[in-house]
Amino acid sequence: MIALVVRRLGWAILVAWFAATATFAAIAAIPSDPVRAIAPHATPEVAERMRAYYCLDRGFAGQYGCFLAHLARGELGESVRAGRPVTHVIAERAWPSLQLALAAIVLQLAVGVPLGVVAAARRRRWPDRATAAVTVLGQSAPPFLIGTLFLYVLAYRFGWFPLGGYGSGFFDRLWHLVLPAATCAAPGVAYSARTLRSDLIDALHADYVRTARAKGLSERRIVIGHALRNALGPLASITGLSFGLLVGGEVIAEYIFAWPGLGRELLLAVLDQDGPVIVGIVLVSALAIALANLAVDLVQLRLDPRLRE
Amino acid sequence: MLFSCSPVERGPSYRAAGNATPRDGGTLRFATYGQIVTLDPAREYDEISAYVVHAVHDTLLGYEPNGTRLVPHLAASWQVSPDGLVYTLALRDGIAYSDGAPIAAADFAYAIDRVRRIPDSQLQPFVANIASVAATGRELAFTLREPDASFPYVLAMTFTAPQRANSDASSGPFAVERWDSGVRVVLRKNQHYWDAPHVHLDAIEMRENVPRDVQFLMFERGELDVAERLALPDYLWVTAQPAWQPFVHARATMNAYGSRMNVRHKPFDDRRVRQALNYALDKQHTLKLLGGAAVAAHGILPPGMAGRDDELAPYPHDVARARQLLAAAGYADGFDVEYMIPSDEEAERLAGSLQRDLADVGVRVRITELAFASYAAALASANGPAFAKAGWIADFPDAASFLDPSFGSRAISDDGSTNYAFYANPELDALLDHARREQDEAKRAALYRRAEHILYDDAPWLWDYHQEMVEITQPYVRDYEPHPVWLRDYTYTWLDLDANGERVAP
Repeated sequence: MIALVVRRLGWAILVAWFAATATFAAIAAIPSDPVRAIAPHATPEVAERMRAYYCLDRGFAGQYGCFLAHLARGELGESVRAGRPVTHVIAERAWPSLQLALAAIVLQLAVGVPLGVVAAARRRRWPDRATAAVTVLGQSAPPFLIGTLFLYVLAYRFGWFPLGGYGSGFFDRLWHLVLPAATCAAPGVAYSARTLRSDLIDALHADYVRTARAKGLSERRIVIGHALRNALGPLASITGLSFGLLVGGEVIAEYIFAWPGLGRELLLAVLDQDGPVIVGIVLVSALAIALANLAVDLVQLRLDPRLRE
Repeated sequence: MLFSCSPVERGPSYRAAGNATPRDGGTLRFATYGQIVTLDPAREYDEISAYVVHAVHDTLLGYEPNGTRLVPHLAASWQVSPDGLVYTLALRDGIAYSDGAPIAAADFAYAIDRVRRIPDSQLQPFVANIASVAATGRELAFTLREPDASFPYVLAMTFTAPQRANSDASSGPFAVERWDSGVRVVLRKNQHYWDAPHVHLDAIEMRENVPRDVQFLMFERGELDVAERLALPDYLWVTAQPAWQPFVHARATMNAYGSRMNVRHKPFDDRRVRQALNYALDKQHTLKLLGGAAVAAHGILPPGMAGRDDELAPYPHDVARARQLLAAAGYADGFDVEYMIPSDEEAERLAGSLQRDLADVGVRVRITELAFASYAAALASANGPAFAKAGWIADFPDAASFLDPSFGSRAISDDGSTNYAFYANPELDALLDHARREQDEAKRAALYRRAEHILYDDAPWLWDYHQEMVEITQPYVRDYEPHPVWLRDYTYTWLDLDANGERVAP
């Protein structure tokens, strides 16, 4: 068990390093100049000094060397735009993003699981069809459309939610969190509902369910108590996978709803070609996704004894 | 679709209470589409950070409200030596920081020194000409390396505001009460500010990172007191509403936009080609595409700038003349050219219009759209596309802040040119150098007018437009206009609320 965790942690670090390096190479390959973008008025001398300061005056190997040297000291370099350490930027933005991710996961399960159960239990009847319609929408509509619709209809027209922002205090924060979290969760809701539905339907045809029926158990106890428990494993892996989807959704949701997280910071950094910030956020996100998946695997080990062998 | 059948009232939801004299109190709320990069005046060089840094740090000299004339702020007076090298300023009596500590002359020297010590500060060029700063008692003397008549404007830039080591106390009309980075900043009135009796707002709240269309929704719902630079559909809508019109404020600021034509490259090495393109572009159409929030340009100096020759009219839209000039230059059949723009909805709209106009004179334009950082690098490079959208936002309202960096030959560099057209003209260089040293304002303005004529005829840019800053305010926001330099300056603004400090419904 411990050996497995250590091995997986090693893989997580390797994956994060690979993602950061690939991003680094992509940025270096683009013919652009963050110094010019950020300091259009800079005289050649000032621009040269800025480039030297940020290692931008060297070739790819030199820049990558700077990056590794920073990493060895536990740093990620400095933001070209803000002139402050990337680690500070990430520290400031990580908590809002984490809150959003957790809220989205909770929402995804809280909505996706009941939808999947109802659809499977009432297969080919109207609850199933309604769920299918909702999941097709959730899976096919891009987050920027869903987010904008939520904002316009639920926040602006109905006034049920604020027009974006971070809120202060627990309940105010929750209230501000609903729409961005729903935007991030939409594809995940659809994904988990559909997967759960098909897994449940498979389970409902299994022998142990027939036995349970023969014993005279109520349909409710069969679905919730027996079939659902066996369909939870695949649901856990879907949830793990959807962390990756979340990162993409967060970029959009944070932008639309003025949520001060990593996603929006990443978007701003891409627009400015602020390399150290882009690489830093990719590195941290990759690490977070890898760790989330590790956590999901551990949960699965608990759920399914067969995996422990 | 679902809601289009329920029309809603979309005029102002509040009105001015009708106080005859400015009322003290209240919080002014606004939002920006971007975020604060830094609150350090020794680094700050972007529009959004400037809104806050300017409100929090006052300078020796400042601008008159709503204007570009310099007036004493933390200084009581200033004078310049006859050789134009030494600027001496006496500090205003009784000035203090927001924590009550007195502002000392040495604090100004410290601020300048800080910029010098930050290796990546973009403000370095502004201190390069300062040989020394002497602080004695209540007096400051700045000695320059060479005369520069635009130097007083540098003393109105926020990086010159007084600072002390390990203190972030404010010298401006407001002080930072709370900053949640990326979310909002709250500024509170500085009771120790020298002009505090004329500052009426209790507080200013600026929200960060609110997309423009959302800002307008918030403004309509009464959650913001000011909305700026609206998305075009909102802008067109609001300016068409009679009920909103009195509260739309438009103002020319310190910018110029057009297209650079790299004079080192064919066919732009021929002045007739550059003039032809200037005749070919329909600037009135540009203004329409900008919703009317712009004025047509005849050069780089915007309206109101000393040295601008207001008698010069923008190149008229004259297709026949353009064809004639192209034929004379040997391009009777026109030519193919790449046109580079930054990836941006507005730039796309304008480029499409330019493409159609130039097609009318036989010039076939191929538009290349680049991410801003790539565009900016290519624009500053001698090897970038010779024909490209270009713009300039000046640092201070003086012709020197436009002309020297954009058309002086010393600003040319192969991969970091601010002279985007790579235009070198010894006659213009001599004029600009002369004007920089000239202390007599009238003579200086005359020199710049001559420079304007040279640039008009030589046309290194396709002159297009000067964009206006457009804001709408709630009816109870009083004594406010966008500022030509600071864009947003709420120092003397007040809120016309009722006796209980509440907004009044119409």
